[in-house]
Amino acid sequence: MSFLQSIKNTVRSKSIHVSYVNVGSCNGCDIEVLAMLAPRYDIEQYGIYVHNNPREADVLLVTGAFTPQWEDKLKSIWDKIPEPKVAIAIGNCPISGCVFNRRGAYVDPPVAKHIPIAAEVPGCPPRPTEILNAVLSLAPLVFKDYEEKQS
Amino acid sequence: MATSLSYYLREMARGEWLRNFLFVKTAPYETPPHFRDYPRLTGKECTHCLACMMICPTPGAIEVLKEDEGWNPVIYPGHCIRCGLCVEACPEGVLMSGRILESQFFENTGYTWTFHLTVDSTLCMRCGNCSVACPVNKEEDPQLAATGTGENDEVIMRVKGGELRILHEEKCTGCKTCEEACPNSAIRVARVIEAIHTAEEGG
Ligand code: SF4
Ligand code: SF4
Ligand code: SF4
Ligand code: SF4
Repeated sequence: MSFLQSIKNTVRSKSIHVSYVNVGSCNGCDIEVLAMLAPRYDIEQYGIYVHNNPREADVLLVTGAFTPQWEDKLKSIWDKIPEPKVAIAIGNCPISGCVFNRRGAYVDPPVAKHIPIAAEVPGCPPRPTEILNAVLSLAPLVFKDYEEKQS
Repeated sequence: MATSLSYYLREMARGEWLRNFLFVKTAPYETPPHFRDYPRLTGKECTHCLACMMICPTPGAIEVLKEDEGWNPVIYPGHCIRCGLCVEACPEGVLMSGRILESQFFENTGYTWTFHLTVDSTLCMRCGNCSVACPVNKEEDPQLAATGTGENDEVIMRVKGGELRILHEEKCTGCKTCEEACPNSAIRVARVIEAIHTAEEGG
């Protein structure tokens, strides 16, 4: 492993920037993401920061069952995130549509149809610890040795 | 100003402060045992009454599947919202989650249910799919074949006199198979579920 790569690995393991987007959820999962920020779960102690600016983000948390308004917009948010990047589906909605996925409903799940999803955290809503564990276990898989894996 | 600045500098230069600042993390938060997680099997025998599927509010969350000789409910994470209604509705105690079963026992709570079937005759094309698919009809009249016409009046509904007639609404188990089988969304099953509380036994 090159020296530069090991510096990048160290820096990336301590600074994961998260952006989240609600593509039509009931807000329950967003509240759990918010709870991760609060002192009880305190994600910043793990080096995870929420910015909500896709251009700075490494991880995109997607909540919601994908309403038609997001058809062109979610893809453009995903394209704005610089590599290496990863998207995580939070809650049942982006996985299956949850209770909204009924005949005649204006939702188009799963979100994996629209952007590549690397991990899914089921639950309605999932516990903050479940979301936190997903981010923490996925981040090294994606960001560690990223440049070396590319070449 | 100068005193407080030097105070801070001295404080932050202490080894313990630096160690705490850089390395101490709060212990991972454990899931408490009373957390109402995805329902698990208790090992009791399932009688295939389908009450759990009837009460489940979420599409595709629970299915009762045949395993070797017996039936067992299967929960699908990604659909299931962990509401615990199936645990409460099951008359046999096949499922458990958190402390639902305990509190149900001590508080003597439960559910009663009835079902109302309605057919929109402007949408219904008298294909009989619903009456052929209905699992109760299959038991009442195994002969009830395609087009749903027959002679047996013990079935829940069948095509009679050029119309889909509801004959025995009270036999319906609320499984909604008919709704899924109808190509025109003409038949609707309304579940009327009431929470009950009895004061006998328990605590
Ligand atoms: S816990 Fe609720 S959502 Fe999950 S299977 Fe049971 S009734 Fe359905
Ligand atoms: S309600 Fe209980 S006994 Fe009835 S089908 Fe479901 S798990 Fe089996
Ligand atoms: S819901 Fe429909 S299919 Fe199920 S028992 Fe009732 S009438 Fe039959
Ligand atoms: S399946 Fe639908 S259209 Fe066919 S007879 Fe039943 S209610 Fe009518």
